[in-house]
Amino acid sequence: MPTVQKSYMYEMIRSELAWVVGEEHIQTTDSDKLGHSIDYYWVPELWHDRGEKLTPPDFIVHPATAKEVSEILKIANTHNIPVIPWGGGSGSQGGALPIYGGIMLDMKRMNKVLSIDPVSMTTTVEVGINTQHLEWEIEKAGYSTMHLPASIACATLGGFIAHRGTGVLSTKYGKMEDMIMSLEVVTPTGEIINTLPVPRHASGPDLTQMFLGSEGTLGVVTKATMKIHPIPESRKFHAFLFKTMHDAMVAGSRIMTSRLRPCVIRLYDEPETAKLIKKVLGIDKQGAYLVFGFDGYEKMVDLEMEQACEICKTLEHEDLGTEMGQSWWDNRYKFFYPPYMFHMPQAFGTLDTVATFSNIEKVYWAMKNTIKENFPQATFIGHFSHWYEWGCMLYARFIIDEPPKDPHEAIALYNKIWDMAIRAAIKEGGVINEHHGVGLKLGRIMKDLYGPAYKVLQDIKKVMDPNNIMNPGKMGFQGKGA
Amino acid sequence: MNIKKCIDAINACRFCFMCRHLDPVGNVTFNESDTPRGRALIIDKIRMDRENLNNQDFINTMYKSALSAANRYHCVSHYDEAGLVLAVRKDIVEAGLAPEAVKKLAKELEHVDFKVEGKGSNLYFGEMPELYPDSKLISGGDPGKALEVLGFTNESKNVFEKFKKAVINSKCETLIVAEPSSYDFLKNKFDNIKVIHSSEYLLSAGVNSQTQSKAYYLDSDYLKNYNDNLKAPRELLESAGYKLAMFGTNQEESYSVGEGAVVYDKLYPELAKKLAERVWEQADNPETDLIITASSYTKSILKKYNPAFNVITVEEAVLKAKGN
Ligand SMILES: Cc1cc2nc3c(=O)[nH]c(=O)nc-3n(C[C@H](O)[C@H](O)[C@H](O)COP(=O)(O)OP(=O)(O)OC[C@H]3O[C@@H](n4cnc5c(N)ncnc54)[C@H](O)[C@@H]3O)c2cc1C
Ligand code: SF4
Repeated sequence: MPTVQKSYMYEMIRSELAWVVGEEHIQTTDSDKLGHSIDYYWVPELWHDRGEKLTPPDFIVHPATAKEVSEILKIANTHNIPVIPWGGGSGSQGGALPIYGGIMLDMKRMNKVLSIDPVSMTTTVEVGINTQHLEWEIEKAGYSTMHLPASIACATLGGFIAHRGTGVLSTKYGKMEDMIMSLEVVTPTGEIINTLPVPRHASGPDLTQMFLGSEGTLGVVTKATMKIHPIPESRKFHAFLFKTMHDAMVAGSRIMTSRLRPCVIRLYDEPETAKLIKKVLGIDKQGAYLVFGFDGYEKMVDLEMEQACEICKTLEHEDLGTEMGQSWWDNRYKFFYPPYMFHMPQAFGTLDTVATFSNIEKVYWAMKNTIKENFPQATFIGHFSHWYEWGCMLYARFIIDEPPKDPHEAIALYNKIWDMAIRAAIKEGGVINEHHGVGLKLGRIMKDLYGPAYKVLQDIKKVMDPNNIMNPGKMGFQGKGA
Repeated sequence: MNIKKCIDAINACRFCFMCRHLDPVGNVTFNESDTPRGRALIIDKIRMDRENLNNQDFINTMYKSALSAANRYHCVSHYDEAGLVLAVRKDIVEAGLAPEAVKKLAKELEHVDFKVEGKGSNLYFGEMPELYPDSKLISGGDPGKALEVLGFTNESKNVFEKFKKAVINSKCETLIVAEPSSYDFLKNKFDNIKVIHSSEYLLSAGVNSQTQSKAYYLDSDYLKNYNDNLKAPRELLESAGYKLAMFGTNQEESYSVGEGAVVYDKLYPELAKKLAERVWEQADNPETDLIITASSYTKSILKKYNPAFNVITVEEAVLKAKGN
């Protein structure tokens, strides 16, 4: 990294950036650098908590157009400086951290809804838009994006695209990769390109899908066309309590494999039911809590709901009714606010894994046993969040109430837990992960996860980004110092 | 340090993103530092090492906050992110580190001279005495709220003492306050004098009107976020015949252009202008929509940066309705 703050080279680059975006859209204050040095990854949070020095970006730049992004990337190529796209900073994988300094490309100024097409039910937007603002604007027009993640208010659409994020209604409306029609992307060398306008075609491999999940390593997404949906006439919920997580899993998987189409299913294992469902919803029960919902025309909702309840009733159960299901929906975001969310000084991590129904319980037990046997100081809890026709996502978490005081020891322990738990999950057919992405946190796992196929990803990166300026050191790709 | 009393909010907000979409300043600067998380991280650094209080960037960020409290209002646990900023401002002032512009403004705010005139059993503090025929009028400046939010606690107390003296000398038993920031400041400050907001008084007095106009009510930071969503202004406008529509896309954002910081425009005119531009962008039909605000501050800033705004205060709206 050639820039040393206060050197003439630093000032040269600053001037060049200012010519592109205007002086007022470059920040270099200590205040801004601090906010951009920490995302939602536990490690920089710990680093801050223990008073350690963080790595800040050199410049924080707020572009307004794809053209400006393109000019910035050209400057970065000339000077060989890293560029790190930043949306809301709510990513949990350290994906937006400026680990080598450089230009932080804060995308939030690109926040306009450009058009709504009520005939095709799509909207075209600048992806720096906060997703709650987006949803509000689309709702005002009479529709919904149906992208309702817990971090709806924390993140940008670009961040969700970059991480293949997902919302609570994913089971019916899909993940980001199902929601996006097409993208405008500025490639690492500064070309502004558009992917094909529809997501179903036979004109070669799908470029849209290649950029989805690329975490700012293959370019900067500037615009997206995404699907929108009518506001459903009705949305209803129902909850059941099962004696064991296994029974609840059988019920949930039967609902999915019967090809009913819930908009959401969520299943909490016994420890999480005892801990979080009690704390947040006030439901104090022993067993595994399962909740599901349907939406659409009321008649169809009622019919599907009846069928799903019938499936649950074939197993040993306690029917918690609609109220305890609705209460979950009403409080679905509450889990993520302090003090309900885990917080410092606790060490915690979300071992997000996805697998087929045949494998998902094996994955759960492999991770749980690994943690239990090797890290007695850690608690393991989990719920199953996003359900598909073939399997579901395990939102497992480990929590250590009192991690080591020494930050180096704490991080070493944290990394070890991640490593062992994830490798155990991969062995059982788990994929890391379903919606949080790779970032800095899981880069080292990528080679093992993909096997020889990882070289294909590396080759794409090398060709597209010859100077390795785009978010170096993330997703297991080469770092800037190497 | 005052911030040490706010340790719960520091710990909650420093790593939390859940209300970032509601910070009015963050929504126009797009800076991470202009969100409750960004500010709490800074305050946490100051808490860990007092030396950081000398950092001019940090100080500037603390004064840039619009103190809307929309974030706290939204927060499931209502962590006092606004109180955190007020606490650090006090620490800055107590350490003699307030920026020159802030000190100068504080000096100006200390120069007050409160006068009571007219006849009546109530005392009215606002700009439209014609709506309160049985009331005396008190005038003379900000009663201490502006100094308080700038972090000048002692100076605020001194100004308030002058205000209090004038109020007590008026012998009135009810003080009717129009500007929401002053209402918030005064409401619990008197033992034997009842303090009410002007909208509460006008609502109880009743408005007879045949108006049927559509209008957009811009919530006041002080009446909504600091006073648990005082219902009187909306009820008053509805009883005066206004059909209220939702402004913008949601009912959570603050559109009061720095009302929470009382004198925001005096310190950050360029940001107040941006806040006003955002209000313009969010309006359905900005050229024609009738916008009503409880705060004369909000009205004056909207008008200052865009005279095309069709904005009036709640009191003006009532007067207009009465005229119909
Ligand atoms: C409380 C909480 C709850 C959460 N719940 C969910 C949830 O329900 N579902 C879910 O999916 N995630 C969830 N997350 C994680 C997080 O919100 C997502 O990962 C989200 O996608 C991050 O978006 P962001 O805008 O904050 O991106 P950032 O954190 O700023 O960046 C994430 C990655 O995207 C890249 N990036 C950002 N913008 C662009 C762009 N325009 N072009 C190219 N690359 C870009 C960055 O370089 C980085 O690699 C949660 C996080 C929090 C804090
Ligand atoms: S006020 Fe509440 S929601 Fe906002 S940052 Fe603080 S803890 Fe989070």
